[in-house]
Amino acid sequence: MMEMIGSILVLLGAVFHFSAGLGMLRMPDAYTRMQAGTKASTLGNTLVLAGLAFYHPSWSLKLLIIVYFVLMTNPISSHALARAAYSIRIPLAGNTGIDALRDEQQDLRSET
Amino acid sequence: MTHRIFVVIAIVLFGIVFGSVATSYTEQHSLRPLAEGYVKLVPQKLGAPNVITGILLTYRAFDTLGEVAVLFMVGAGVVLVLSAGRRPRAAAHSPEDPRPSSEIVQTGAQVLSPLVAIFAAYIIMNGHLSAGGGFQGGAVIASCVLLVLLAYPQYQLNIEFLSITESVAGALFVLAGIAGLILAGGFLDNRILPLGQFGAFFSAGAIPVLSILLGVKVGCELSVILDGFRPEPVGQKDKV
Repeated sequence: MMEMIGSILVLLGAVFHFSAGLGMLRMPDAYTRMQAGTKASTLGNTLVLAGLAFYHPSWSLKLLIIVYFVLMTNPISSHALARAAYSIRIPLAGNTGIDALRDEQQDLRSET
Repeated sequence: MTHRIFVVIAIVLFGIVFGSVATSYTEQHSLRPLAEGYVKLVPQKLGAPNVITGILLTYRAFDTLGEVAVLFMVGAGVVLVLSAGRRPRAAAHSPEDPRPSSEIVQTGAQVLSPLVAIFAAYIIMNGHLSAGGGFQGGAVIASCVLLVLLAYPQYQLNIEFLSITESVAGALFVLAGIAGLILAGGFLDNRILPLGQFGAFFSAGAIPVLSILLGVKVGCELSVILDGFRPEPVGQKDKV
């Protein structure tokens, strides 16, 4: 029973990883690709590791630490990448509606 | 058309080469005589459960010393080449200060760098028990330094301190080797310290000590190399 639950979680994680890969291929610009890769692969990793915890309950603490590490690093690194991409003016997709970072920078400039 | 034919021929040739490798592969069910000797000798004579670390830090410790020396030369070469190329460029361009990293990155570095450092210490200290050791732990230390450098581009590493620590660690490594020559069976023999209980945290003679020295040395060397890759800090002379 435990192994069944673990297998289902790992499979679910694999589905999320697949959607991350699909997003990388199908999204229109760098930023949307990045968010597809980050969100889906973070959740996919967490699910796969949770599934492993069902297989080997004695590993749970170490797996929890790994999940914490992934949850910390994955969003931060892609945030830094996206910011760097924005600062060297990689273009947004044509149908992007809102550019919050540009608005904020304009606000800052108009204040000073 | 001819181009495509060449591509097809290349693919077929690669297929033949890798296919023959794959079909001729037979799984070995017993160890080769040399490997068998090591697998028996390391736990018996050196008291280290991790055979690889036992080999690296005792039987092949002289090679490890050579590898560290090679790494040192790589570091010196990288710093020399990079520092020779960047001074005139920095003077010609006079670029602005490096863009500060965002608050999220800085907070993340503050939370993560202690964790990474603890993980490095764990890898180094458990080198004789499980997978890990000085080289790997030193690389993790350097990744911690890299994280800090990414989050705080203005941060100045104390290069002199790193160089002195590295030199001291290297000298102690060689001294431990000479102690092995005097007290035990040969250069870098780990039996200069008591072997202790098999599998305990403090065991396997001098292997943990050598691991620590190696980790400190590799970490310092790689940190100096990382610092060499940064652009020349602008306006540093004015500020100091």
